[in-house]
Amino acid sequence: MDFFVQQLVNGVTLGSVYALIALGYSMVYGILKLLNFAHGEVYMMGAFIGYFVLTALGGASSPVLPVAPLLVLMFLAGMLGAGLLGVVIERFAYRPLRNAPRIAPLISAIGVSFFLQASALLLFSAQFRTYDTPQLIPFSTGIEAGPLRISLVRMLVIGSAIVLMVALTLLVSRTRLGKAMRAVSYDREAAAMMGIDVDRVIVATFFIGSVLAGAAGVMVGLVFERVFHFMGFIAGLKGFTAAVIGGIGNIPGAMLGGLLIGLAEAFSASYISSTFQNLIVFGILIVIMLVRPSGLLGSPALTKV
Amino acid sequence: MKKSRFWLLLALVAALAVVAASCGGDDDDEGEPAAEDTTAGDTGGAEAVDCTASIGIMGPFTGDVAAIGQEQLNWAKFAVDQFNEGRGTSFELVEGDTQLDPAQAATVAPQFVSNSDIVAVVGPAGSQEVEAVGSIYGNAGIAFISPSATATNLTEDFETFFRVVPTDADQGPTDATYMADELGAQNVLIIDDQTSYSTGLADSTTAALEEAGVTVSRESVSQDQTDFSALASGVADDTDVVFLPWQVAANAQLFGNQLAEQGKDAVIFGSDGLFSPDDFKIAGSYVSSFAPDITGLDDPAIQELVAAFEDEYGDFGTFGPPTYAATTVVMEAATAVCEGGEEPSRETILEQMGQTDLPESILGQPIRFTENGDIEDATFFIFQVAEDGSYELVQ
Repeated sequence: MDFFVQQLVNGVTLGSVYALIALGYSMVYGILKLLNFAHGEVYMMGAFIGYFVLTALGGASSPVLPVAPLLVLMFLAGMLGAGLLGVVIERFAYRPLRNAPRIAPLISAIGVSFFLQASALLLFSAQFRTYDTPQLIPFSTGIEAGPLRISLVRMLVIGSAIVLMVALTLLVSRTRLGKAMRAVSYDREAAAMMGIDVDRVIVATFFIGSVLAGAAGVMVGLVFERVFHFMGFIAGLKGFTAAVIGGIGNIPGAMLGGLLIGLAEAFSASYISSTFQNLIVFGILIVIMLVRPSGLLGSPALTKV
Repeated sequence: MKKSRFWLLLALVAALAVVAASCGGDDDDEGEPAAEDTTAGDTGGAEAVDCTASIGIMGPFTGDVAAIGQEQLNWAKFAVDQFNEGRGTSFELVEGDTQLDPAQAATVAPQFVSNSDIVAVVGPAGSQEVEAVGSIYGNAGIAFISPSATATNLTEDFETFFRVVPTDADQGPTDATYMADELGAQNVLIIDDQTSYSTGLADSTTAALEEAGVTVSRESVSQDQTDFSALASGVADDTDVVFLPWQVAANAQLFGNQLAEQGKDAVIFGSDGLFSPDDFKIAGSYVSSFAPDITGLDDPAIQELVAAFEDEYGDFGTFGPPTYAATTVVMEAATAVCEGGEEPSRETILEQMGQTDLPESILGQPIRFTENGDIEDATFFIFQVAEDGSYELVQ
C-alpha cells in the first residue's frame, strides 16, 4: 500500500508537469489548429531562466534571499520570460503564415524548435546545469510516514500546478478574454465579424500557454534538477501526447491526459517493467485513439458542409 | 550571463585558432618546441613534413551528451593544431555530428565515405554508433578509431576499426571484482540504459558478479527518461550496490538524489560513461574510467599539454585525452605515409595504422594495436566520489 501511494505521488508529480506542457499545445491548437512544435523549447527556456535567476541570486548552496521569495522570483521570471518568447515566436514565425496552407506553419514550428535548441547550445553551452534542489530544500523536509516519503519539493510542484490549472480554468470560463478565446476557437471568422480582435486573442493565447510551459520548466528544474538544451524535445513529445490523449483543443482534457501519462509511466516502471515504460505510454495512446479518435474529452470534429 | 559570454568568446577564439592554423604556419609566436608533444616517435623529430589530408571526426557535438562531444571535438582540434605546428603538416578536420544516435551516425558515415578528401575517421563515440557505421567504413576501406567505444565485440566485427580505450571485457570484471571484494556486495541491482554499450556491459558485469556469488537483479531504463523516482522507489531495501552502466552522467546524479529522497542507502557504482565530475557527484559513489585522470600523471610533457589545452578551452574530463590520442594515431600514420614518399590515401593509412607504435602517449602508456585493432595493455581505473564531489583514484 505504501509502495502504491509512493508511486502515486511520483506519478502525479511527473503528470502535473506534463499537464502544464500539454495545456500550451492544446490551447494553441484549439485556436489556430496549429501544432506548435516549438512549445517544448519554450519550456526549456523557462527552465534555463529559472536556473539563471537562481544562480544570479547566489545559487542553491548560498542563496542571498530566503527560500520562499527566491522561488517566487524564479517562477515569475521563468513564466514571464517564456511568455514573452511565445509571443515573439507567434509574431515572427506564425503570423506571417496565418493564411498559408496548414503545412507551412507546421514546418515553421519545427524550424523554430531547432533554432531555439541550437541557440541554447550556443549561448549556454552543452553542459547539463542542475538546480541542486537538495541544497535549497533538503529532502528531509516534507511528510514522512513509515516508508512513505513526500518531499516538500514534490508538494510544492503539485500544489503550484494545481493553482495554475485552476487559474487557467477560471480565466477561460469567467473572463472576457476567456470568452473571446472560446469564440475564436469556435469560429475565427465569425468572432472577427462580431468585433473580437482576433490577433490580440491569439497573442494572449500564446502568452498564457507559454507562461504555463515556463512554469513547468522551473518545476522540472526543481524536482528533476537537470536543465539542458535538449530537454524540450522529449518533454514536448510527452506533452503533445498528453494533449492528444485528453482531446487536443480541450483544456480539462490536457490536464487529464498529462496526469494519465505521468501515472502510467510511474506505475509501468514499478509494476511492469521500466524497460517498456514508453511502449506502455504510447500503447495507451494508440488504444485511446482507436476507441475514441478525438481523445478522452475531445468532441468529434464536425465536417462543415 | 557572464558565463555565456565567456563561452561565446571561447568559441570565437577557437574558431580563430582553427582559421589561423589552416592558413599556414607563418604565425610563429614562440617557436615550435611547445609542440614536441608525446608523439615524436622515431620518425625524425621536428623536421617539417609536407603532408596534407582531411580527417573526419564523428561525435555527439549536440544533443543529450553534447558536453562529451564538445570535449572530444576540442581535444581533436587541439591535437591537429599542435601536430601541424610541430611537424609542419597541414591536416584538417571535417566534423560530423552524431548526437550519440546510431541513426545519425549512419547518416554521417556515407557522407564521409563520399568525401574523397577524407582518409580516415576519428570516432564515433558510442558503441551503438560504431555498430551502425562499422560495415559502411569497412566496405569503403576507411580506418576509423574510436576514443570511447568500449563494447567488446566491435574490434572483432569490424575490420577497419581501432580504438585507444580498453574493452568492456575488462571493465565488467574489473568493476564486478571491486564490488564483490572491496565493497562486500551481496545484492547488486544493474540498470542498463538500453544502448548496446550499456546492455553489453551489464551482461559482462552480471556474469562476473554471479561467478563471485553475488545475487544480481536487472532493470532497464531509457536515456531520455525525465524522472527516475518510480525506479528508485522500487529498489529493494537489501540492495547493497546499484550498478549504472550509463552514458548520461546527469541522469545518474538525479537517480542518486532520488534514491536518497526515497530513503534508500544503496551505493551507486557507475561505468566509464558516468565519469564526469561536473555532472555526477553523489558522495560515496564509485565510477570506473577507461582513461586515467591525466591531470594526475606526473609526466611533464603531458602536464604541458594539459596546461596548453586548459588555456585555450578550459576544463575537461576523461573523454578528451583519448580523442587526442586517437587523432594523433591517425596523423602519425598519415605522416609516415608521406615520409615514405606516397600520398596519404584510405588504403595506405589503414595499413599504416595497424603498424602504429607510439612509445609514449597522452594516456601515459604506449599505443600499439593487437591484430583486431584493440589497444594493447590498457586497463580500467576506479575512482570514488568524495564528500566535496571530487574524484579520488582508489584502484
